[in-house]
Amino acid sequence: MIDLTARAWLAREDLDRLIALLREDGRKVVGPTIHDSAIVYDEVTSSADLPTGVTDEQGPGRYRIARDGNGSSGHAFDFASSPMSWKSHTYPAAVPISRATRKGETVVYEEVKHDSPRMAYLGVRACDIAALHIHDDVLAGGPYIDEDYADRRGKAFIVAVECAMPSATCFCASMGTGPEVSWGFDVALTELDDGFVVKAGTEAGERFLERLHLDEASSIQAHAAAGVGVEARARMSKQLGVTTEGLKDRLVAELESPGWDEIAERCLACTNCTMACPTCFCTDVKQSSDLLGTQTTGERHWASCFTLDFARVAHGNFRPKVKDRYRQWLTHKFSTWVDQFGTYGCVGCGRCITWCPVGIDVRKSLQAVAPVRAPTIGSEKPVPVSANPGRYSIGTIADLWPENRNVYTLLLKDLPEAVCCGVPGQFLMLDLPGFSAVPISVSRYREGEIYLTVRTEGSTTKAITSLHPGSQIGLRGPVGRGWPIEEGFGRDVVIVAGGIGLPPLRPLVDQIFKRRGHFGRVRLFYGARTPNDLLFMEEIKSWAARDDITVAVTVDRAQVGAWSGAVGVVTHLFDREPIDGGHTTAYVCGPEKMMTATANSLAGRGILPEHIFLSMERHMQCGIGLCGHCQMGKNFVCKDGPVFSRRELGESLDVEGL
Amino acid sequence: MAGNSTKPLRVGVVKFASCDGCQLGFLDLGPALLEIGVKYHIIEFGEASSNRTPDGPFDVLFVEGSISTDEQARHIRRMRDRTGVLVTIGACATSGGIQALRAWAGNDGGIAGFIDAVYAMPEYIDTLATATPVADHVDVDAELRGCPIDTRQLVELLTATAIGRRPQLSSEAVCVECKRAGRVCVMVARGEPCLGPIISNGCDALCPGMARGCYGCFGPRESANGDSLAGWFADSLDLDDAAVAATFAGFTAWSPELRAVIDARGGPPGMRAAPASGSGKAANSKGGAA
Repeated sequence: MIDLTARAWLAREDLDRLIALLREDGRKVVGPTIHDSAIVYDEVTSSADLPTGVTDEQGPGRYRIARDGNGSSGHAFDFASSPMSWKSHTYPAAVPISRATRKGETVVYEEVKHDSPRMAYLGVRACDIAALHIHDDVLAGGPYIDEDYADRRGKAFIVAVECAMPSATCFCASMGTGPEVSWGFDVALTELDDGFVVKAGTEAGERFLERLHLDEASSIQAHAAAGVGVEARARMSKQLGVTTEGLKDRLVAELESPGWDEIAERCLACTNCTMACPTCFCTDVKQSSDLLGTQTTGERHWASCFTLDFARVAHGNFRPKVKDRYRQWLTHKFSTWVDQFGTYGCVGCGRCITWCPVGIDVRKSLQAVAPVRAPTIGSEKPVPVSANPGRYSIGTIADLWPENRNVYTLLLKDLPEAVCCGVPGQFLMLDLPGFSAVPISVSRYREGEIYLTVRTEGSTTKAITSLHPGSQIGLRGPVGRGWPIEEGFGRDVVIVAGGIGLPPLRPLVDQIFKRRGHFGRVRLFYGARTPNDLLFMEEIKSWAARDDITVAVTVDRAQVGAWSGAVGVVTHLFDREPIDGGHTTAYVCGPEKMMTATANSLAGRGILPEHIFLSMERHMQCGIGLCGHCQMGKNFVCKDGPVFSRRELGESLDVEGL
Repeated sequence: MAGNSTKPLRVGVVKFASCDGCQLGFLDLGPALLEIGVKYHIIEFGEASSNRTPDGPFDVLFVEGSISTDEQARHIRRMRDRTGVLVTIGACATSGGIQALRAWAGNDGGIAGFIDAVYAMPEYIDTLATATPVADHVDVDAELRGCPIDTRQLVELLTATAIGRRPQLSSEAVCVECKRAGRVCVMVARGEPCLGPIISNGCDALCPGMARGCYGCFGPRESANGDSLAGWFADSLDLDDAAVAATFAGFTAWSPELRAVIDARGGPPGMRAAPASGSGKAANSKGGAA
């Protein structure tokens, strides 16, 4: 048995010994080299061929290599996905598969032997290992086997290198294939500054390492190596990913989605995604013959479901439109592949995104076509308890503290489960017997507990905030329509809060952090009347320290010396910020005038009214749209809102006294 | 169609407004040129032989060049009547060629201004205001694209016709050839504007293989989404309208798909958009040329 826990140390200057040993075994070593302004896999004869000190920058439709600024790292494997995958070597673009002679009425076939050279693949990433295994299932999993593939694959020695630099187009973590290399290799390296921590994954790999006579890695080296994958994963967690939960079914349920047409407007049907994909395996056989048709050769070529001929039959074509072809590709990758082979046909390497000439991002396509409809806090959302006026459940105030001079936060426990299963932006009707019930937004959900942040305005709120820990209180809900978090998936997010408008937005921020990979850039702009009116400042500072959210705070006025931050209305905070209006969703909560001004300002930045969400305040008593108090235009704010898109509100936001 | 007859097919190679380069594709066949004699009897090929039969009739006629005079327009109709299978060869015959750009002169004093500027004795020049593809004038049975045509495609067409099968001439993008050859995309990796995604392959991605963008000499492929690509040139490669139009205004500029993009971006550099249509083909509606 091989010892999967053993770690050896390969000093950087010994990398050449490793390459030489592979070559001694009669293997052609293929690894990263620099060609054509890119890091491509090609023959490597020594470490001098490797892209030492060079990295790559990738984005949708864009790839650049970059020299390591000061050359300090000296790493040879600090890059993400290569332009083409290992498929180019294991399943080449053109392979002769048949030769025939036809003379008169006689046909003779000559056997085509598949005898590929012995290869060693150096620098294989976890995503690409997963891709090789998907190809193993598809092409060599039986009952029929692609002989050429089986021959090449059987002769390949895999030297994996742990991915340290995932690019902006990488999403292997979403697909469960990486970034850590954990299986499917003969030998795996983790690159550190002065060398590599090495482990064996097969007996062949173990025997190979024995011949290198390496020392055991120190615990410091092994520890540092373990950190490489952790760091890569952390880096990727801040990027857009793919929500795989229910994806297979979600996608086939959307075959008629208008989203396909929108993608087809941009799609060039050029096939680059399928060609660069490490798992796409479709091929054509092209016959060529001499002029008399006597000698014929059949060659297997990479084909693509994006070409017109792919689904053509004598009397027509099954997929004439580009939309049809894109849909075929995407549904195969993320749905029907699962039916056929038990895995997704995608490993999250991001090549289809980088090498799309017009930057179509498969992660965004999936969200556009098959969005995650309901925020899945629980799998089956319980019906809010005691929604009906008069029927309350009971919660206990576990703690209560002031946030500023007139705002308090209550921590409620001992709650029915359903109360904790609300969504950000919903509210509770809070009832202290003897007082009239008041709507209070949930300012945080936790397992078995919720936070309510209350401004002491009238007698009820004064009474509630005067309660002591241990006191019970009646509640109904959560009710109302919360923030549509899924509308922000795949897009930049702008959150604008004014004064007491921040608490209803905090659960949204919590959810965004929890699913950070689903969003692009996230920015929070918070304004209040004076520094004393600002809420949750300690927490805001901790957000500001994170690098996956941008936070800016302002006050309308401040005494000299009491405030060193920005002064002015909250819209000034983003007036000079670059906002990609077409790809931004905004969530706004605060006083109505502030929301109107903010919505107008954001609309001026190109954000469509259906992507601007406001939480409205009206007099709400029943909370379920029966009492009529909260009507605003055609809506009951409690039932139809409190969260509305700017489009839904239409003119009703601009009409005074409505 | 031709097919498996034992008698060699009577073949002609003729030209209209063009540079003769595509006809050289036949001479470039090398040894295959000798082999095709088994199946093909070349009875008219002015570029190669003075032993001529200009009036045919032809089983297969290869036509190079675009139609740029009244006389040519009459002549191609006459040739069509004397021909079985008519194959157009090259960018000029299939989409008008570089000379088709003259159509955009229509708004700038017309073709007369061009003639005056170019020729010492303009009174001897008799020309149409346009140079149009052969298919605008007569029915065409097959096309070989390119400037010049690709010899391998010519062999494939000759072979398929000789055997009686459908020639395997793809409508795939140039990108397919780049990717199969393992070439790094010049647009993604270097920001080089490249028409490859919307242009038919067949050239083995010659230009991207030389680290430059495809300039479209094989013409638009099926489903060519010129709008999307032009939008990317503008938004992501920072090309202004004139530069986008210049990229599209090459050897197949007059094809409806490319023309639509050129017109939407103000016409070829130095000329104006929305030329008077002299081709009889409607401009591609999806380009929003108007």
